[in-house]
This record gives sequence, C-alpha cells and structure tokens, in this order.
Amino acid sequence: MTNDTDEDVVEAADDEAATVSGPTLEKPAPEKSAPEESAPENRLAKTASAVRYEPGDAESEAVRRFWSVRRVPAALAAVLLVVAAGVLLYDIVSVRAERPAAAWRRELADELAVRGLDDASVVLAAVAAMLLGLWLVVLAVTPGLRGLLPMRRRDDAFLRAGIERGAAAVVLRDRALEVSGVRSVRVSVGRRRVRASAQAHFRDLDVVRADLDAVLGEGIRELGLARQPALAVQVHRPARR
Amino acid sequence: MLSIVNRVLLGLLGLALFGAGLVVVLTALDVVPAAWPWSGPDDVLLSDADRTRWRDEGWWWPVVIGGLALVMLLALWWTVAQLRQQRLSEVLVDSGDGVGALLRGRAMEDVVSAEAESLPGIDEARVTLVGRRTQPRIRVGLLLAPQAQPDVAVHRLRTEAVEHARASAGLAVLPTEVRLRSTKHAPERLS
Repeated sequence: MTNDTDEDVVEAADDEAATVSGPTLEKPAPEKSAPEESAPENRLAKTASAVRYEPGDAESEAVRRFWSVRRVPAALAAVLLVVAAGVLLYDIVSVRAERPAAAWRRELADELAVRGLDDASVVLAAVAAMLLGLWLVVLAVTPGLRGLLPMRRRDDAFLRAGIERGAAAVVLRDRALEVSGVRSVRVSVGRRRVRASAQAHFRDLDVVRADLDAVLGEGIRELGLARQPALAVQVHRPARR
Repeated sequence: MLSIVNRVLLGLLGLALFGAGLVVVLTALDVVPAAWPWSGPDDVLLSDADRTRWRDEGWWWPVVIGGLALVMLLALWWTVAQLRQQRLSEVLVDSGDGVGALLRGRAMEDVVSAEAESLPGIDEARVTLVGRRTQPRIRVGLLLAPQAQPDVAVHRLRTEAVEHARASAGLAVLPTEVRLRSTKHAPERLS
C-alpha cells in the first residue's frame, strides 16, 4: 500500500450546496440583510474564523505503531534475484555443455573489462546503487503504514486496532456536517493534526467555529486514537457571487 | 515472522548495494585504501585476467554453479513466501474429555464475520484466522458504515463477535487485530 501523501482528505458538500452551485440570478446572500446593519463595521467584513488547539499529552498513551510486512518490495527484490541468478545460471550451464556463451554475457564481460571506474556511466550506476540501497534500508527499518492510526487499547492486551486516516476523515466530516450553518466542509486527517475547513452560509462565523470545535473535538475523542491529534478549524463564508 | 524475514533481507540487500556503490564512487574519487579491490580511477571494473583467474581450477565451476543455484532457490522461496496466505485452515478445540475436535477455520471466520456485520456501524467485516492451531489469532478488516462510531464498533466487535467465537472454540485467549476502513460515501445530512 502506498501512503506517500501526508493527509487523507475528504471533501463534502451537502445537497443544498450542490443545488446552489453554478451561475444564478439570486439576490445577495442573506447575511448582509437588515438586522446586522447595527453591528460594528468589522463584524460585517469578517469572512473567516480560525482556531487551533494542541492536546495535552495526558490523553496519549504509548501504543506500538502497526508495522508493514513489506510484502511488495520483498516480492520485487525476490523476483529480480530469481531472474538474475536464473539467467546467469542457465548460461553458465549451457557453456559448460559446450554451447557458445550468450551475446549479452560476452558484451557484459567486454564492457566490464573496458570501462574505467571514473567512467561516467559507472559512477552513475554506483550512485544509483547507493540510493537504491539506502531506500531499501529505510524500508527495512521504518514501520510504514502511515495511513493507519493506532487506536487506544482500553486495557485489553489482546486487542490491537487501527483506523485508516481516510476513514477517520469520513467520520469527522459526517459529524461536522451536522453543525447548523455548515454548508460544506473539508476534513483532512494528518498523523498529528486534523484540519477542518468549513463554509458557513448562515449564523455568525465565530459561533459556527465554536460549535465545530466542540463537535470535532468530541468526534476526535470518540475515535479512540492512541495519540490525540491536534485540531485546526477554519470557517469561511462562501465566495460571493 | 514474514515481516522480520523481509526486513532483514531487504536491509542486507540495501547495505550490500549501498556499500558496493560507495566503494566504486570513492575509488573513482581516488580515495583508495589498501584493502579495496581496485587500484584507482583508471582501473576497470572487472578485467579479463580477473574474470578468468580461477577458470582452470577444478573447484571453480562447481562453486559458481552451486552458489548461483543456492541463491536462486532461496530467492524462489522468498518469492513464494510473499504470495502464500498465512491463513489457518483449522482450529483445535479441546473438548475437555481428552478427545479433541477440529474446527474448520473458514467456518469460524464466517461466524465472526456474520456477527460483526450485524453490529451497528459495520458494513462489512473480513475475518482471517492466522497463527497456530492451538493458539489462533484473528485479523479483522472492518468497513465502517456512515455515521459509525469507530471506538464503539471496535469495542462491540471485541466483546461480542470475537468473544463469542473465543468462548465457543474453548480458547483461553484470541488475540485480535482490527483495521478500520471506510467507503468515501456521500455525506448525509441529519436535519
């Protein structure tokens, strides 16, 4: 499984949002209507609200990461080894049986005997071998499975559970959409931080953000992760048309 | 177990590649300690004289052929190990009267999977029994339903589906590994 991206993102807009997209001849958005006229000028101008918080370490507990089996790189390396050893073995045995050596083997022997160590292609190949070797060592010593977040053990020594970041993002997104005023929300779950970016089409932005904070904070706790991620919430007004 | 084998072999392979590359690069830069196989940047990788040095010795070809065959067989085993599923085909049930019984692993998997899928918040459960006949372990891949509560789903899986299987097979413990996934379903609004 490849987990090169750092975050799993789930984007969503509810049905309402889907229907209001595209050019329309509607009146301007309702938040500029009369009752807010009395509010201070900067209140009207506000189009975004954001907050982040860092969790205390008290809630985290030491749980081992999931370790990948490294099946795919091992299979690739093993197949390459089989092919290389097999082809060479076949040719050596066929030469032993009084047949001429294959062309590739004679060419290879000639090249090896001609090219100096400072030849560009030799140095290039050596550097490539170093990089490949380094990468294999990194694969061997790192856990991998960055997309799988370990969950709390609940004092159960015989249970290990993990949730994929994409699944955590879907769960949190579903909860965020239940906050009234939220028209669409984009939740991305990183390994250390959950980011939510919502569009609110009514209610005060700060109120929506406070609600989202509470709902997502509770949602993150209920995910039961071994390591509580930090939370960053942003709320915007949808772009005016 | 397979993880350890893979990681050790990949690590050794990586170190060998890195080391060989490093020696060549350093030689090309004219850093040549006495122990190195090449004398300097002007040396070639493998001269004809080096290649044919032991050709006339009686032991040379048997050693080369035997070594290559060994490498090939080990690599073949390594490949097959990746493909083989480590699924347990049966579990030994101790009935307490000295007469054991064999429980088909697939049957146990199906029962756990069916019970897990009946729990709220779980759309699909893929259950695999691994380990040894007397000490099986269980691996569960859950597909979360919309509006699921992951922590609750895992807890109920553990205390209901897996616990029932453990008790009915007469096992002291049934270590469980759970991985939760989710479909990227369309959002549902409850309003």
